[in-house]
Amino acid sequence: MRISMTINGTQCVMDVDPDDVLLDVLRGAGYLEVKGSCHAGDCGACTVLVDGRPVASCLTFAARVDGHSVTTVRGIGDGTHAHPLQRAFVENGAAQCGYCVPGAIVSAKALLDENPEPTEDEVRLAMDANYCRCTGYEQQVEAVLDAAEQLRKEARR
Amino acid sequence: MGRIVEYYRADSIEDAVATARRLGSSAAYVGGGVELVLRRNPEVSTLIDLSQCGLGEILEVEDGIEVGSQVTLAAISRSAVLKCYAGGSLALWSGRIAQNNLRNMITVGGSIGRNQPWNDLVPHLIALGAEVRFFDGAEHRTPLVSYIDAKRTGTVIEGIVLPSGNANAKGFMWRFTATQQDISLLHCSALIDVAGDVVRKASIVFAGRPGHAALYPQLGQELMEGGGSQDAFESLARSAMQAVEVGTDHRATAEYRRDLVRAAIISLGDWMTGDTQ
Repeated sequence: MRISMTINGTQCVMDVDPDDVLLDVLRGAGYLEVKGSCHAGDCGACTVLVDGRPVASCLTFAARVDGHSVTTVRGIGDGTHAHPLQRAFVENGAAQCGYCVPGAIVSAKALLDENPEPTEDEVRLAMDANYCRCTGYEQQVEAVLDAAEQLRKEARR
Repeated sequence: MGRIVEYYRADSIEDAVATARRLGSSAAYVGGGVELVLRRNPEVSTLIDLSQCGLGEILEVEDGIEVGSQVTLAAISRSAVLKCYAGGSLALWSGRIAQNNLRNMITVGGSIGRNQPWNDLVPHLIALGAEVRFFDGAEHRTPLVSYIDAKRTGTVIEGIVLPSGNANAKGFMWRFTATQQDISLLHCSALIDVAGDVVRKASIVFAGRPGHAALYPQLGQELMEGGGSQDAFESLARSAMQAVEVGTDHRATAEYRRDLVRAAIISLGDWMTGDTQ
């Protein structure tokens, strides 16, 4: 079946099987920054934004995203134009092996888009889907709080 | 594992039900949630998507608040209307079930329709007195607890209606999990209306064994008659340990869950007397 969706701002038309999940479709199309791990909705590595909301792409039928907008971590920023969240992850030591980071950053992006001034508890709740076995979470929470402050400063300029 | 060969986007509930009837057991509704991906039924070869059937709104209606079946837990947690309903318990609770990326996927209809009321949403909806609106070729409305007992299949859940009579009541939730995201070993929900020292209304629900959630009117009655003293809650805890159906599975024994029933009632007492939030 043919579906169409906007991926990181680019309109894409794809042929998918009815039981394909979004994770496999994105990776098959070259969006390798979307990571698969548990394939059961537990770990958060595959999190992407659909219409600005984080979802587990391993449990989302690709057909259900027809007509919607998908954002991966690459759509938030890249090595040339890093988003303040991405810079804050690097500066706070919030990325070690890096496998969970794409999912963690998109979850944080959704939070900051909705709530530019989150508390630490709100950050932890918004990222409760994203398992990280390297950093112990503290650095990631600090990174999101730092990025929020940076974004507020930029907004005031 | 079954092979899905068709993904059908229904444009109305009438269309969805007619298609499901035509295809019989080879069709399943995609109404939110993750079950169809995780546990594929080998019989199912066609999915019927309900997302374009206009079931995604939270509306104030004449006799309460209607939550469409395609509304996600995340949307409930953000709803200004629901934050004001029964002390905001449903909004608060929905923002803590499972984890963030799943809260944007799990819907009210998906939670009810999987016929496994032993989850974290359904017991609280039962305590709030929710009714289900569903369509099987004709419109129906029935208490949620009756809908679940009937284990209906093939119907489209249109939404739930939260009754308007709960303005002065507050919802209570307690669950015991091994980790935050884990499925509860035991869930207790209640709706309590207190005026001064008088408990005017108390609905107490437990989900204490797999596949089961139930309202325990006798426990609510005992709470109303006993007042809010520590002795009354001790007595209520003993009654609850006898009354609540608990079960054993590979995660916990019935005896363990019986102790959790007591912990839930003590926690309810602490909540009502202001010792905890």
